[in-house]
Amino acid sequence: VENVRLLDRLCSRKAVLGTLYLTATHVIFVENGSETRKETWVLHSQISSIEKQATSATGCPLLIRCKNFQVIQLVIPQERDCHDVYISLLRLARPVKYEELYCFSFNPKLDKEEREQGWKLVDLNEEYNRMGVPNNYWQICDVNRDYRVCDSYPTEVYVPKSATAHIIVGSSKFRSRRRFPALSYYSKNNNASICRSSQPLSGFSARCLEDEQMLQAIRKANPGSDFIYVVDTRPKLNAMANRAAGKGYENEDNYSNIKFQFIGIENIHVMRNSLQKMLEVCELKSPSMSDFLWGLENSGWLKHIKAIMDAGIFIAKAVAEEGVSVLVHCSDGWDRTAQVCSVASLLLDPYYRTMKGFMVLIEKDWVSFGHKFNHRYGNLDGDPKEISPVIDQFIECVWQLMEQFPCAFEFNERFLIHIQHHIYSCQFGNFLCNSQKERRELKIQERTYSLWAHLWKNRADYLNPLYRSDHSQNQGTLHPQIAPCNFLYKFWSGMYNRFEKGLHPRQSVTDYLMAVKEETQQLEEELEVLGERLANLQKSQLCDDKVESKQQDESKQLRLFTSNNSLANTPQEYSNDLKSFPSRSPSQGDEEDSALILTQDNLKSSDPDLSANSDQESGVEDLSCRSPSGGGCLPSEDSGKDSDEAVFLAG
Amino acid sequence: EIHIKEPVEKEVNPRLLPGELLLCEASTVYKYMQEDGSNRGTYGKLVCTNFKISFLDDDSASDDNEPEFKNKIVGENDVTLQCVDQIYGVYDEKKKLLTGQLRKYPERLIIYCKDLRVFNFCLRYTKEEEVKRIVSGIVHHSQTPKLLKRLFLFSYASAAPNNTDGRNGTVMFDTLEDWRDELERTKGNVKFKAVTTNEGYRVSEKLPLYFVVPICISEESILKYEGRGIPIWCWSCHNGAALLKMSAFPKEQDDSTSQMQKAFLDGIYKTISKPPYELLKVDDLSSSLPSLQDIQTAYTRFKQLFLIDNSTDFWATDVKWFSLLESTNWLEIIRRVLKKAVEVAECLERQHTNVLLIEETATDLCCVITSLVQVMMDSYSRTKLGFQSLIQKEWVIGGHSFLDRCNHLHKSEKEEAPVFLLLLNCVWQLVQQYPPAFEFTETYLTVLSDSLYVPVFSTFFFNSQHQRDTSASGESLKTQSGPFRFLTVWDWSVQFDPKAQAFLNNPFYAEKPKPDKSQRKTARFKHQRQLSLPLTQAKPSTKRGFFREETDHLIKNILGRRIGKFINSSDEPPNNLKEFYDSWHSKPIDYHGLLLPRIDGPEIKVWAQRYLRWIPEAQLHGGGTIAVTAKILDLMEEVQSLQVKMDEEHSQAVSGDVPSVTTPRNSARLSSLFPFALLQRQSVKPALPTSTWKDLEDEDDLVRRDDEFLDLSGDMS
Repeated sequence: VENVRLLDRLCSRKAVLGTLYLTATHVIFVENGSETRKETWVLHSQISSIEKQATSATGCPLLIRCKNFQVIQLVIPQERDCHDVYISLLRLARPVKYEELYCFSFNPKLDKEEREQGWKLVDLNEEYNRMGVPNNYWQICDVNRDYRVCDSYPTEVYVPKSATAHIIVGSSKFRSRRRFPALSYYSKNNNASICRSSQPLSGFSARCLEDEQMLQAIRKANPGSDFIYVVDTRPKLNAMANRAAGKGYENEDNYSNIKFQFIGIENIHVMRNSLQKMLEVCELKSPSMSDFLWGLENSGWLKHIKAIMDAGIFIAKAVAEEGVSVLVHCSDGWDRTAQVCSVASLLLDPYYRTMKGFMVLIEKDWVSFGHKFNHRYGNLDGDPKEISPVIDQFIECVWQLMEQFPCAFEFNERFLIHIQHHIYSCQFGNFLCNSQKERRELKIQERTYSLWAHLWKNRADYLNPLYRSDHSQNQGTLHPQIAPCNFLYKFWSGMYNRFEKGLHPRQSVTDYLMAVKEETQQLEEELEVLGERLANLQKSQLCDDKVESKQQDESKQLRLFTSNNSLANTPQEYSNDLKSFPSRSPSQGDEEDSALILTQDNLKSSDPDLSANSDQESGVEDLSCRSPSGGGCLPSEDSGKDSDEAVFLAG
Repeated sequence: EIHIKEPVEKEVNPRLLPGELLLCEASTVYKYMQEDGSNRGTYGKLVCTNFKISFLDDDSASDDNEPEFKNKIVGENDVTLQCVDQIYGVYDEKKKLLTGQLRKYPERLIIYCKDLRVFNFCLRYTKEEEVKRIVSGIVHHSQTPKLLKRLFLFSYASAAPNNTDGRNGTVMFDTLEDWRDELERTKGNVKFKAVTTNEGYRVSEKLPLYFVVPICISEESILKYEGRGIPIWCWSCHNGAALLKMSAFPKEQDDSTSQMQKAFLDGIYKTISKPPYELLKVDDLSSSLPSLQDIQTAYTRFKQLFLIDNSTDFWATDVKWFSLLESTNWLEIIRRVLKKAVEVAECLERQHTNVLLIEETATDLCCVITSLVQVMMDSYSRTKLGFQSLIQKEWVIGGHSFLDRCNHLHKSEKEEAPVFLLLLNCVWQLVQQYPPAFEFTETYLTVLSDSLYVPVFSTFFFNSQHQRDTSASGESLKTQSGPFRFLTVWDWSVQFDPKAQAFLNNPFYAEKPKPDKSQRKTARFKHQRQLSLPLTQAKPSTKRGFFREETDHLIKNILGRRIGKFINSSDEPPNNLKEFYDSWHSKPIDYHGLLLPRIDGPEIKVWAQRYLRWIPEAQLHGGGTIAVTAKILDLMEEVQSLQVKMDEEHSQAVSGDVPSVTTPRNSARLSSLFPFALLQRQSVKPALPTSTWKDLEDEDDLVRRDDEFLDLSGDMS
C-alpha cells in the first residue's frame, strides 16, 4: 500500500510518508524520500492487537500494538486498503499452527553442526552437576520417562534419594496436573534446597500418605534442618477458594515438621489487567506528574513486582541463612512458582547473575518445567484469558535488582530487553510450545535455532562493564532489603517506553564504559600487532647494526606518541567519541537484522546491531583510512609495555 | 584554614570552632538509633552552643574507622541551629511541638532537621535540672526569633579572621569588573552596559552595587522608581538575544500614579524593543508559575515523607508511596518550572527574542528561571566554577532574600519558601538526565543544599548585598578591627578535605575538547579507530548531519506552509515549544551546547540522595548508584597512579620503589546511602519469619569476607 503515513506518537504532526508492505512474516514500512529509506519492521508474532479507528479526512487510521510495547499508528488513505490490511493482519498475527511461526522459516545460514552446537550451549545436566547433584541425598529419577507421570515436566527430574518411585507416583496423584515436588535449586554449602510442585488436592480434609512421605524425604535430604518451609505463593483467599474445588494447600497438622507460609502474589488475570493499566499510562501523551504517579500506583504493577521479589527474598534467606529447604507451589506450579524459584536462585547463586548462568536459569526454571510459553505469550491463536506477562515480570524483577546492585550482574539491560523481545518474536525455537514434551514432538531442535547461541555470539553487546567477577559481592548471596520498600522500585522506561525516541535516555554511564572497554580492546589488539612488528624488527636489528642509531631516534619519537595516547586514557577523553555515540535501540537493530535475513543477502545477519543502512559504508571507509597500526613508526619496547598497563587498568 | 581547638579535657568535650561558646549541656542522654523500635542506642552528652546542637557519644572510641567522606565543620551528630526544622517533645507517648516557653519538660526529644535527619533523644536518665536547661536552651536558640548580629557568622568572623582569599576562581560579581567581564564573555557588551548608579545604594538597597542594563536606559529612569520597571540584564545568548528581569510596580491605589507608571513602562518597552534590540517577550512569572506559598506548602508536605522517626511510620508511608508523592505536588512544581525554563530557552534560541521576566522583586522565581536557563544554554554554567559564579550572580548578589526565605532568624514564617532548594532540585533533574554534561555531581548539589544552614559562610545568610556590606562594616566597628571578612561557601576546603572533595567532581564530565594541536590529533586518531570496529555502537545517528537533514527535510516537505504560519503567529506557542522540544530531543546531544530536560511525568524523579540518605530502610548494601561512582573513582585512581608510574619511567628516573597501585575502594562494603549515613547499621526489622538475628552475624561475615578480598588483591598487585 502506498502513501501511508506513520505517525509519531509523541507529536502527531510529525508524520512520515511511506509504503507499507505485508510479507508472510513481517509488516514493513519503508519511508519515502530520504536517501536512507528508513525501514520499520514488525514481526507478525509481535502484534498483540490491531485497532481500526474512525475514518477521518486524511485517511483511515490503523493502530497496531505490539507485545514488545511498540505502538505503531498508520494512516492509510483508502478505506478499502485499510480494511484489507486490517483483515490480513488479523489473520497473520494469529497463526493456528506452529509451522506458521517465523522460526520455522528463519534461517541464519548456519550449518547443521553449528545449529546443534547452539542447542548444546545450555545443558541442564551440566547445570545440576554444577549445583552438586546427584549426591548422597539427591538422585535423578526416571519415573517420568516418556512423560508417563507428568506430561508438563521434563523427563529427567531430581528427587530425594529416599523417595521411591512408589512415593513419587503416589504424590503426583495428589498434586494438580500431577506436578509432584521436584528439585529446582540445591545449595551445596548447607544442603538446603528449593523444590517446586503444584498445589495438593487436599480439598477440605483429603490426605495422601505418599505426598506426606515425599515432603519428609525432602526434609531428610537436608540433615542440617528439622523442618521445611512450604511456600504457597498465592494469596490466602485464592488458596482457600481452591479447596472447594478439591484442591488447596497443605495442612500443617497432616505433614510432620513443615512450616506453611502464604505469599500473596496475584493470579495471571490480575497481572494482565495491571499491565494493561500501566501501558495505558505509558501511552499518554506527555503525562503530567499526577497522571503518571496516580496511574502507576493504580495499576499496581510495581506492587506485584515487589510481591514476587518479597517471595524470592524470603526463600533466599531461608536457604542461605537458615539453611532450611523450601517447597514452593502456587496452583499449577508453572507461573508464580517459576517466578519465585528463579528470583530466589538469582539471589542465592552468583552464577545465575552471569550471562551464561542466566540462560541456564531460564532454561531450568521456565522452559524445562513446563511454563506455558505458547499460552501465556499468545504465540498461536488461543484463549486471550490465558495470556499474561509472567516472564516479563521476572525479567523486570531482574532489572530492578540490576538497578539496585549495578555491579552484581555480568549482563546489561539490553540483554534482558532482547530476551523479552524474543520470547514473543518466535524467531528462535526456545520458547515455543507449552512443555518439553510438545517441543520434542515438534522436533524443535532439528527445525529451528537456539536464541542462546545467538545471544552468546554477540555477548560483547550484552556485557555490563561494571561487573567484576572477583568482586566479593559477586561471590555470594545478594542482600536486598529484607522487605524492600516501594521507593526502591522504579518504572522501567527502558522496557515499556523503549520505542519512544524522545523519552529515551540516550547516554548512560554503562554505554560510556562500554566504549572505554571497546577502545581498550582495540588498543590491546594494536599492541599485539606492534609487538609482532617489534619482534620482527629486533630480528632485523640483529642482522643490521648500522640502522641502529636511526631507529633509536624513531623509538624516542614513538615514546612520546604513545604516552600521549595513554594520557588520553581517562574517561573524559572519550567524550569526543561519545558525543556521536547515542544508545541504540536494540530491538530496532534486531528488526533490521531479521530484515536482512529475510532478504537473505547478508551473512552478517546474526549480528543484531549492524544496521542495514549506510552505517556499514562508513565503517568500511574508516577501516580503509585507518593506517595500519600507526604507519611507519616503530615502537620501542618500554613504550609498548606502558600502553599495556594503561590498557590493563581500563579493562 | 580552620583551626579546630583540640579537646581540653577528656574526649567527651565538644569540639568548638573559633567563636563558638558552650551554652548548656546535659549528660547521660540516651540517643536512639532511629531506625527501629528496638530502643537500641547510646548514652552520651547533649550540648548546645551558639552554633550547633551536638551529641557526644560516651564511648567515642570508634574513631579508628574514619569515614572517607566527612564534613569538617558539621559532624555526624551535630546539627547547626539553623538546620533545626522542628522540635517535638514526647510526653506520655504523645508528641507535642515545642516552640517558645515550656512549662513541662518532655521525657523524649525529637529533632527534625532541614537536611532531613531525625534525632531521637531520651532524657529519662538525665538530671531534671539538666533537662530543663538543655531543652529550653535548645528550643530558645533554635526556634525563637533572633537578631541578625546574633548569628554565629559574626562571632566566627571576629574570632577567626579570614585571611585566605578562597575564591578559587569563582566570580563574585561584587565589582564592576566582574560584570564587565561577564558582558564580554557572553558578547552582550554591544547592547548592554554595567552601571555604577547604585554606588552608595542611591537607587535601592535591594539592588546590587553594580548591575547591567540596556545601553539606552538613562540614569534618571533608573533612579526614578528605585530601579523598578527597569529591565536588568542577566545573560546574553550566543545569537545576541538576552535574558532580562524586572521588578514590577506594586499595585497602586492611586490612579494617576499607576497611569504614570504605565506610561513609564511603555516608554521603557518602546526603547528596548527598537533595533538594535531584538523583539521582546514579556513573561510575568507571578501569573505563569506557582506562587511562593504553593511552593512552600508542597515542599512542607514533600519533606514530611522523608522525616521519619520510626519504622512503623516508614512502612505506613511506603504502602501508598506514589499517591503520597503525587499529593505533595512538589514534583509537579519542578516539572512546571523546568517547562517554563524550556519555554524561555526556546524564545532565546530559536525565535531570537529577548525575554523579560517580571516578578514583584525579581529575586525569587526570576532567579530560578534565569539560573536554569543559563544552566541549560551555557555550558560554562555546568562547570563547577561556572555554576558557582552563576549562583553568585543571580542569587547572592542578585539579591535573593536567603535570610527570609530560609527563615534563618525565625522572624516570619510567611516569608519562608524553599526557592533555592527548588533550583537545586531542578538542576539535579538535569544532572541525572545528562551526567556527562556536568562537572559536578549530585553529591555536590546535596552538600551545597546542606551548606544553606551552616552559618560559617556568609553566602546564604544575607538578604542583599547592601545588608551584607552594612553589617560587615557596622558590626566590626564595635570590635574595632577592619570590616569582617566572611568565608564563602565556595571554598570547599573549609568543609571537606581533598579526598572527600573528590566526590564532588564528576568523573564522567565530558570536558570541552581543547584546541591544543597534539590533543586533537590523538582524538581524531582514536575516533577513526572507534568506527573501524564492526561491533561499535555506531548507529546512523553518529552523523549529526544526517539528523539535521532529516528534520530540515521534514519541515520543508511535510509541514510545508504550516510551519511558516507558526513562526509568524504567536498565538500557538505551545505547538512551537513542542516542536522545538521534540526536534531537539531527536538530535544527538552536544554536551557543550543547549541542553533541554525531558519533562514528561516519568522523567521527573525524586532526588534520592538528598531525601533518602538517612533512611536505613532505603539502604542497599553494596548497591545503589554509589556503587557505580565508587567503581569509577577506583578506575580514575588507578589511571592516575599508573600515569605517575609511567611518567617516572619515561623521565628515566631511578626505578627504585614503584608506587603500589592504590587499593581499590571497597565498593561492596559501601551502602547506597554512602557518603552520608555512614555508621548506621542495617535495620533489622523482621518482615517475614525467616529473618532472624542471624542477619547481623551474616553482616559481620560479609565484612570479614571483604577484608579477605582486600588482602588477596593486595597480594596480587
